[in-house]
Amino acid sequence: MTISLSELLQRKPDADTLTLWLEKIPYAVYLGIRAEIEGNDILFVLPHDRKLIGNPTLPAIHGGVVGAFMEQAATLHLLAKMEDPVLPRIINFSLDYLRPARLRTTYARCTLTRQGRQIANVSISAWQETSETPVSIARAHFLVQDHDRDAPAGVSP
Amino acid sequence: MHIWHFFAGALVFTLRQTPERTVPPLSRAEKSRLIEKMCSYIPHSMLQGIRLEQVDGEEVTMRLPYRPELVGNPESGAIHSGALTVLLDHTLGTAGICCNAVGAMITPTLDLRIDHLRVAPAGRDILATAGVYRVTRRILFVEGFAWCESRDKPIARATGSWVLMPELDLGALFKGSDAGAQQQ
Repeated sequence: MTISLSELLQRKPDADTLTLWLEKIPYAVYLGIRAEIEGNDILFVLPHDRKLIGNPTLPAIHGGVVGAFMEQAATLHLLAKMEDPVLPRIINFSLDYLRPARLRTTYARCTLTRQGRQIANVSISAWQETSETPVSIARAHFLVQDHDRDAPAGVSP
Repeated sequence: MHIWHFFAGALVFTLRQTPERTVPPLSRAEKSRLIEKMCSYIPHSMLQGIRLEQVDGEEVTMRLPYRPELVGNPESGAIHSGALTVLLDHTLGTAGICCNAVGAMITPTLDLRIDHLRVAPAGRDILATAGVYRVTRRILFVEGFAWCESRDKPIARATGSWVLMPELDLGALFKGSDAGAQQQ
């Protein structure tokens, strides 16, 4: 595939575009993250895979992987909702673990809580059985200004 | 409630000093051995190649070797912030072992907060250093940071809390996990 990530950002965020975005991100491919359109919403899916296990006794998915999945979901959700998409840069990420994530498929849905000119706030909920019993909730701040790519993210935003 | 319900994704053995029972702190070699055992016990960490770099007193440093599949931005080659989350979760969770306290214990992660300070340089291993800064009866407060060239220039900074479960007797589980780790 020859299309660049920057070019992809200009496409309408339909199901095919979301898949193409994910295919461009090696770590998202490694984790196996997928995205599905649900009306006006996007459902992110992390299929269960033994390589993601953090606790072999339960077994449960590594907490860091659940966090990584939620971060990736937040980034793509934000991209899809931006009027003039630029690659968001994460400033910080705060994650609460509510239940162990068993070795099952995990889902995540995001809310763009606030989008300012420079900063966006996204909240994320991840669950396995039902969305009423999340395994983890998180929120993230992103820098969304089309700024110098070499500038450090999160510093003097 | 069944005890396993408490377990978070990353299973962590820690040692805690209780007011009732004071035991000499572990040596550096003992801490290192326990941490290495834990790395091999956690499949995802082992697959990531996360390994112990050094134990320095009550501080632990782990290394995440660079691999192309960890890249988050294909245009810059920078490691994905999520891969840093895995490394920091693992390292901060491991810091309990380096805390001079006794009592084999499982500590589920309660929360984790990460500030991303710089973009990780492409093609380089990432190190993470962490230490416990406060232990209460129930909670372990841990802080740490990820870095590359110099620990004075952190890529990310993390704080988190872990739940101590002194009522859990881990002896049997620990022996079982020991056998499991050796088989891997």
